[in-house]
Amino acid sequence: MTAELTYAGATIGYPGVDVVRDATLSVAAGEVVGLIGPNGAGKSTMLRAVTGSARVTTGVVELESRSLADIGPRDRARLVGVVPQQVSAAFSFSAREFVLMGRHPHLSRLQQPADVDISLAEEVMARTDTARLAEDGVDTLSGGDLQRLALAQALVQQPRVLLLDEATSHLDLNHRLQVLDLVRELADSGMAVLAVFHDLDLAARYSDRIAVIDSGRLGPVGPPAEVLTGEMLARVFAVRAVVGTDPVTGSVTVTPVLREEAVERASRGRVLVLGGSGAAAPLLRTLYLAGYDVHAGALNRGDIDHAVAEALGLGMIDLPAFAEVDDAAAAHLRAVAGEADAVVVAEIPVGRANLAALRAVAENTVARRLVFVGALGPERDYTGGEASEAARTAVDAGAMIAHDPDEAFARLAALTRAAGIGTSDR
Amino acid sequence: MSPGPHTRRRSVTAIVALVVMLGVAMLAGVGLGAVSVAPSDALGAIGRMLNGAAKLPGDAVIVDIRLPRVVLAALVGACLASAGVLYQALFRNPLADPYILGMSAGAGLGAVIALTLTAGATALRFGLVPAGAFLGAILTIIVVVRLASLRGVLDVTSLLLAGVALSYVLAALSSFIMVFFRESMTSVVFWMMGGLTGASWPYVWMVAPMLALGLAVPLFATREMNILLLGEERAAELGVDVERFKRVLLAAGSLLVAGAVSVSGLIGFVGLMTPHMVRLVLGPDHRVLLPASAIGGAVVMVLADLAARTVLAPVELPVGIVTALVGGPFFVWLLVRRNGHR
Repeated sequence: MTAELTYAGATIGYPGVDVVRDATLSVAAGEVVGLIGPNGAGKSTMLRAVTGSARVTTGVVELESRSLADIGPRDRARLVGVVPQQVSAAFSFSAREFVLMGRHPHLSRLQQPADVDISLAEEVMARTDTARLAEDGVDTLSGGDLQRLALAQALVQQPRVLLLDEATSHLDLNHRLQVLDLVRELADSGMAVLAVFHDLDLAARYSDRIAVIDSGRLGPVGPPAEVLTGEMLARVFAVRAVVGTDPVTGSVTVTPVLREEAVERASRGRVLVLGGSGAAAPLLRTLYLAGYDVHAGALNRGDIDHAVAEALGLGMIDLPAFAEVDDAAAAHLRAVAGEADAVVVAEIPVGRANLAALRAVAENTVARRLVFVGALGPERDYTGGEASEAARTAVDAGAMIAHDPDEAFARLAALTRAAGIGTSDR
Repeated sequence: MSPGPHTRRRSVTAIVALVVMLGVAMLAGVGLGAVSVAPSDALGAIGRMLNGAAKLPGDAVIVDIRLPRVVLAALVGACLASAGVLYQALFRNPLADPYILGMSAGAGLGAVIALTLTAGATALRFGLVPAGAFLGAILTIIVVVRLASLRGVLDVTSLLLAGVALSYVLAALSSFIMVFFRESMTSVVFWMMGGLTGASWPYVWMVAPMLALGLAVPLFATREMNILLLGEERAAELGVDVERFKRVLLAAGSLLVAGAVSVSGLIGFVGLMTPHMVRLVLGPDHRVLLPASAIGGAVVMVLADLAARTVLAPVELPVGIVTALVGGPFFVWLLVRRNGHR
């Protein structure tokens, strides 16, 4: 595959400011490269360098192995099409006239758009689902319609390289997928695509490779599964996220759990949460945000609670996927429970595999430090009554039953204050 | 960009209609005045002039006084309206016009300086006044654009403010020069008031090439002007060499303004109003807008000058008063009508 667009040690910026430093990246024909990064990191500037709106001060940006500096505006517009973030259309050209403006670089000074240009425009308008708008004035159209028209305008340039700057930001769900499916199709037929994404799931789903840019520096570049990691998301976006796999498309998915700066830096004491099957995830997040030293217990790999605890970096008693709670894990749970200011049993189903975990905390914790979320009854007791019995015994000894996670949280707050620890919160 | 058959037919119809209107307006301009002349007599006199045939006794009024004045009015109107189109496209702002951007005042100062320097030397004037006006116009627009883009990007509000402010300063400088050289300045004062009172054939031959050149270049670039409406960045993405194109438009516009100001002083409203009227009726496509505005501006100016010299005859009004009084309300009416349709 040939590289259509290459940045080689390019420093890019505007008079007096360098925005992107020393960027090296190449986009090959047939490839979609997703560019992600926080606001202001330099994503748009990377794209604007190609059309001459941002200046390349050191290094080079090349199109088809020719330096941009040697390519005039008309030739460049025959090689590169751009779909911008915002499309301004204050004047009442019809949508067809608007799209046909994209033929400009192919027409000589006195040449009018001919039948071949018009049929090309009609073709791209059909592919971008804008054909029915042909006679409408662009000043009457919605942001989503305009964005698809801008794509049609870029495609009618018949470019080798397509640059998308958040090109689906104004689109509804259906059109977003439609446009990106089209972009994928164009790439598969040989176009090189560099696309800025804010939606990381879409970036993962449609990109062959993802490039991360942070504070003007290009970071890792590689396949979505390699680049989109919890560590990268925490470092670049300051977000703790669960990185998973979409069960339907098989592409990487990113579920943000919390923003770093939302975490209270108070120390409110240590809490052990007994979870599983996703029953504890919201409570783990809430407690972590509030500044508790949260530990999560006996979680199997592959469980949502496990993924969330891992994303948050919690202390965890973890088990292989589908493994039963063995003696070692039970002992570990008992030890952590013994040092915790409070222990919460989330609204989990209890079966043979995790009965030992319930017993470990219910029978070996001072009952007054124990909170159940919801009474443990037959509807989630798969042990023939042994789990319910263990819970009942604990409650009789003073353990509390909270009706929902909110009440559990309130009771925990009371418990940890009583333990005299949450005094550092101001 | 590519009008359908319907739009194209409409554009051709509109241009033909405007040409007919211009013909009728010019005929009226030649025929009406202190002495009324029937259209057939007026046409006869013009025919005899073109054929080089012997003049009849009444011909002098038509051929030497009325006709050059009407033709000059048409040329000045075309210059101002075309310049308005160019600047409205260049700055993507409907308020941009040579008068508001200070270019008229700049051209005026340049012309005043040239008039002062050539006091008494009439022959020199025909060369130096338009040159001075052109220099004044182009220097003014360069200063105004620089002032408006001090923060790196061209700010439209600053552009208009800088234009208006500079306009006052330049007009004051012109007045200062005129007061200082009072003795030799009678003709300058007359000219400065704005009007076509002194019109003669040499003025026509002076303006005509400036209009032709100033209009010809942009007429070959109407597609770029359309694309420029999408913003400079988008225009660059679509293959327009934006910086070069802006300089071309600025130079062409300055030439048009200089042409108008050299012969008729400062006349407002035509450059602002005419392109708007045309746009409201025919849409934003410069392939139609530019030629239609040029012809429309000619019609407006011929009619305005006709009104200026007949309404209160024998008193002659400055034509700028007429353009403002008639053009303003008409513009408002078009605006209200369009909004009512939405």
